[in-house]
Amino acid sequence: MTATTTSTPAPLFPTFEQVFQGLSGQIGQLRELAPKPKLPDKERVRRAIDVLIEETNADEAVWLESCIHCGQCTNACHYFQATGEAKYAPMRKMELYRRIYQREIGPFRAWYKLTTPKIKLSHLEELQELAYDSCSECGRCTMVCPMGIDTASLVHHLRSALVEAELVPPELATLHQEQKYRRTVFGASGEKFIELVQRIRDHYDMEVPLDKPQADVLVLSSAVDLVGNGNGLLATAKVMNHLGIDWTLCSDAFESANFGLLSGDMALWEKLSAPIVDAAIRLGAKTLVIAECGHAYPALRWNPMVKGGELPFEMMYISEFLGRQAQHGKLKLRPLQGRVTYHDPCKTGRRGGAFEEPRAVLRAMQADVVEMPANKEFNWCCGGGAGIFLLDDATRLRDESFRIKMQQVEQTGAEAVVVSCASCRLNFEAGRVKNRWNKRVESLVELVAQQLDEEMAA
Amino acid sequence: MSLLEFARGPAIHWSLIILTVGILWRLLGVLALTRGADLSRPRDAFGNFKGYRTVFSRSWPAGEFTTATMFQTSVAYVFHLSTLIVVFGVTPHIEFITGLTGWAWPGLPNAVGVGFGVMALGSLLAMILRRLSKPAVYCSNTGDFITWVLVALPLLTGLLAFGHLGARYETLLALHILSVCALFIWFPFSKLMHAFWFVFSRAQSGIVYAHKGVRI
Amino acid sequence: MSNSPSLGEVLDSQGFSRRDFLRFCTAAASVMALPASIAPTMAEALAATRRPSVIWLSFQECTGCTEALTRSAAPSIESLIFNFISLDYHHTLQAAAGDAAEHAREQAEEANAGQYLVLVDGSVPTRAHCSTIAGISNLDMLKTSAANAAAIINIGTCSAYGGLPMAEPNPTGAVPVGEIITDKPIVNVPGCPPMPLAITGVIAHYLTLGQLPPTDHLGRPLAFFGENIHDRCYRRPFYDRGQFAESFDDEGARKGWCLYKLGCKAPVTYNACANLKWNQGTSFPIQSGHGCLGCSEPRFWDAGGFYESVARGRFETGSKLGLAAAGGAAAGAAAAVLAQRKKKRLAAEHAEQDSDAH
Repeated sequence: MTATTTSTPAPLFPTFEQVFQGLSGQIGQLRELAPKPKLPDKERVRRAIDVLIEETNADEAVWLESCIHCGQCTNACHYFQATGEAKYAPMRKMELYRRIYQREIGPFRAWYKLTTPKIKLSHLEELQELAYDSCSECGRCTMVCPMGIDTASLVHHLRSALVEAELVPPELATLHQEQKYRRTVFGASGEKFIELVQRIRDHYDMEVPLDKPQADVLVLSSAVDLVGNGNGLLATAKVMNHLGIDWTLCSDAFESANFGLLSGDMALWEKLSAPIVDAAIRLGAKTLVIAECGHAYPALRWNPMVKGGELPFEMMYISEFLGRQAQHGKLKLRPLQGRVTYHDPCKTGRRGGAFEEPRAVLRAMQADVVEMPANKEFNWCCGGGAGIFLLDDATRLRDESFRIKMQQVEQTGAEAVVVSCASCRLNFEAGRVKNRWNKRVESLVELVAQQLDEEMAA
Repeated sequence: MSLLEFARGPAIHWSLIILTVGILWRLLGVLALTRGADLSRPRDAFGNFKGYRTVFSRSWPAGEFTTATMFQTSVAYVFHLSTLIVVFGVTPHIEFITGLTGWAWPGLPNAVGVGFGVMALGSLLAMILRRLSKPAVYCSNTGDFITWVLVALPLLTGLLAFGHLGARYETLLALHILSVCALFIWFPFSKLMHAFWFVFSRAQSGIVYAHKGVRI
Repeated sequence: MSNSPSLGEVLDSQGFSRRDFLRFCTAAASVMALPASIAPTMAEALAATRRPSVIWLSFQECTGCTEALTRSAAPSIESLIFNFISLDYHHTLQAAAGDAAEHAREQAEEANAGQYLVLVDGSVPTRAHCSTIAGISNLDMLKTSAANAAAIINIGTCSAYGGLPMAEPNPTGAVPVGEIITDKPIVNVPGCPPMPLAITGVIAHYLTLGQLPPTDHLGRPLAFFGENIHDRCYRRPFYDRGQFAESFDDEGARKGWCLYKLGCKAPVTYNACANLKWNQGTSFPIQSGHGCLGCSEPRFWDAGGFYESVARGRFETGSKLGLAAAGGAAAGAAAAVLAQRKKKRLAAEHAEQDSDAH
């Protein structure tokens, strides 16, 4: 490692607050770029139904069959709790799915074909708000459901259907198209990535390995790093170097974000995962570290289409990776001043299982961590997950539901909320600005980089 | 053929046939579908088995939701337990089951049966009142109300028949049996099938989450 | 009405005191739920009555009903009542036989046209040659006798509801009287046999008040058939406590517990057995340790086995639930297999569509 003999250089990247402002403008433009539906209405409906039939297995069927309309799920859903509107009740989201299931592959389909109304495009149009704007697939409703119905999984299948029906909300549709046909997100191409790496190397005079064969750890980045907040990548690089890990980035496998997963396009999800897996194998990495981008965790680590058990490498979220380093006593950090609380992103927490590791990191900096009243498996979603942060139409839902999160944080008396997910962070930032909230929002990896104990450097 | 003979004979027989056909048809029609495979590596090798715990653990809400669901949970428990006690504890019911299966066990004194019957009906009333008073929470459909009526009727007619209230005993008994017939016929096609689904549904979710190392 | 002496005169000649007679009237009034104050009036009316003519027709029957009536201990009010009437025709009891007997019937019917009572025991076969008296089919005799009758009283379950002769497979095409005669007032006094007091009570009511007593929906006088036996049974407390005899020689049976599980039909049987009891109030079937057979109810032979409790379902040719289970499982499995094929086909199409698009 090249030790910095001179004083720390001026920041290369803007602050997150500035990044947030810039990104908001870019998100606004996504709506205009959205593709228009091309297929005839009938075909869109048919394809939507077909993909649901295809994706409905015994698990989905049982969940659809099990609902007893007991209303408990409404207690768990932040969108329902924030608005009290009937249509946002989690069980409502399954209604159309159930009808399609009953008509098409349910055991009594002959009867339901006769007695239930045919599915029309208008039904699917109404579904758009329920499957995208008002469900972050956070899975909290599963925690209270007496039948244990996994509504989030069902909503994910509904998103698949809406992809086929060309009813993906415009912002997501634009990004879906971009990633599908150009393999970039917000224009973040391989060239731009190499350029970013070079800028970091030059500005900070530090080593940032790229495409290094036989490196132990392959680290991913994310579009958010590329379109403004290079701080994420910078922090990751600092930490990796500090830990003395043999790591690398990869110029053709760097994107954590997966708009196949977010929009519901299973085929694209699979296609976008493949090059990353291939790169890790090609480079001979033993560990693949996923950047602070919540949905990337399920997109790769929990990708049901990738035979994880047969891969020669392990996949980890950055918080998991850092946590394990801390648990093994390798991560030495300076003590953190002030009280903080940790927000579990839905995708890495309840739907990912990485609970202990980020907390171990915070313990390593001897932070005064106070848990929110509802934490870990019961954590309230911030309201921006599963792509909702990008949706203009979901603004009201986001703003209303964020109050619940604010209340939770208030109760801890913390000065800062530590998050480990770019979506959560953007959403917290939006909420903070809108509500003139006096809390700081910190990224876990950036906090670690900030607290690195240079004396103890490996 | 009197009403009672019709109820005890063809009505109950056909409704039992429909019940049996319907339950097995629906159960197999769903469970014999393929299972989706999750190929991702589980967090720990045998972790998925822990998922089966959810079948039992979900019998009571987690601390996080205890307060919010207190009414619903406790009333539902009162209803389910009272109904089970009435269905399997009252001598005439045991006699019916004995006639069908040959299994027999001692019955409860009538006063106990009546007491639980009243509790079951009372809890059912409490639940429908809550359902009606919070339409946004319950999103009720016609099926919910039909189910409620068809569950309430056997309890009501049973109590009336026991007390010989309102009509002659054999008429009330016939109506009681017929209301059970209606319930049997409705059962396999309604949400009452949750009596079976809950095991599978809980286990599935338990496994899905246990796969990721999350205990739900 | 014939010129026979009044009932009062007959009673006097037989040495019955007015006190005895009043006692009968009080008893009759009370069992029929009439006010006690009616007893003297009843006594007056009965004493002054000219004995009405009664034709007793016996069709497909076992004479048990007559036996029940006549075997009661003498001098009983049941036998006494027969002094109120002029029993002009009764196979078993009358001295005349052959043509003389039939002639007596025809004469009585002619002399008392519109006034006489017809009492019937036994069901009526509708198939030819099944049961005839003096070459006359039961059906014809009933129609002839009923034509000019004031009212008909069915004695016993066979005439009231068909009874044993009508039980499956009903070889004689037996029917109850009420199915043949529809234009006359009819009272049913069912039972196998009926309670003697119920028979005489109905007759006394008719003689006293000039009309038949109020009845339930099955034509039975409410005074005797208004309550089910279960409600009046002295073993009811055991039922309520859940104490049952499980067999006829177990501890429960010895202790006199409820016979519900042994098939007692008391809960669905309306009769006065538990109140009045039989043989001068000595006992009744349940008291003697056997469940009620439900003999005063229609179709009591066919409505379930005597030893099967009321609550059991009746699946005559055996329950078909095993078959139903197999059928349901097959249908469900078939539905799932077809659904799987559909899924596979669509998945293949989808893959093709995707490869076209990319």
